[in-house]
Amino acid sequence: MITYELLLLLRIMPKNELASVVKRSANAIFDKGGFLRKLENLGTRDMPYKTSAHGMVHRKASYFLMEFNAPPVYIDQLLDEYSRDVDIVRRRIYKKKEAEAFECTLHEDMLPPPYRKSVQKLIEEARKSDKPRYNYNTGLDYYPFQK
Amino acid sequence: MFRQLLTASAVIPRSFVRSSVIRQSSSAAANDEPLFDMENPFEKEKQQCLLCRLKITPDYKNVKLLSQFQSPYTGRIYGKHITGLCETQQKLVEAEIMKAQAAGLMATYLKEPCYLKDPKLFDTDNPIRPHRF
Repeated sequence: MITYELLLLLRIMPKNELASVVKRSANAIFDKGGFLRKLENLGTRDMPYKTSAHGMVHRKASYFLMEFNAPPVYIDQLLDEYSRDVDIVRRRIYKKKEAEAFECTLHEDMLPPPYRKSVQKLIEEARKSDKPRYNYNTGLDYYPFQK
Repeated sequence: MFRQLLTASAVIPRSFVRSSVIRQSSSAAANDEPLFDMENPFEKEKQQCLLCRLKITPDYKNVKLLSQFQSPYTGRIYGKHITGLCETQQKLVEAEIMKAQAAGLMATYLKEPCYLKDPKLFDTDNPIRPHRF
């Protein structure tokens, strides 16, 4: 089961209206057979860049984060629904991923280029496109091809 | 006294002396041999990048952290020759910054003024590896 994160930027409006918009957007998830795991208010603040949405230019927005589970088939429909909502300035749905364990490879990255695995791979790739060449030490005492 | 010693040695049969000496030397050689299957004692400690050392996984909601990897002049993401991150972490940071910018959490063409006075994680003027700029 994939957990999704929905980040909603809502336009500036009075508190009761804001609540109704959040409720509406949450209900859209419930209608698709999903459920909420978390609902967070990230506050109202200036946006890092102005956004025009539904014929209005917005420089401030209220940020809301919802963690939810829903059938993956309906994610597109959800986004479409939100895109038609006049009060929503911007919306993004990201998958919530568990961090995969990995080893730090900084000591390898700090090696001089010919010792780095990435560079060795590049060299190998380049060697693949080399033309086949005739080896002179194969026992023939003459060159078998036209020079 | 010297004479006494001489006589004492003369009493011990020669063959016995020789064999004991050889045996001693062979056993000593076996013990003195250096162990070549041991780990390299001079191996340097493995370097770890900043985020791996502090066990931080970058997240797109953590804009304060991500903006430290962004140029205050152009808003572009610094490369790994400047940030000093390992390949995996650098990729993660870049991906999370793109996500944050797309979601409207983070600025694209500048660093937001509220993050300008944050401590510097790395020296942007002295990259750890030479680069084409």
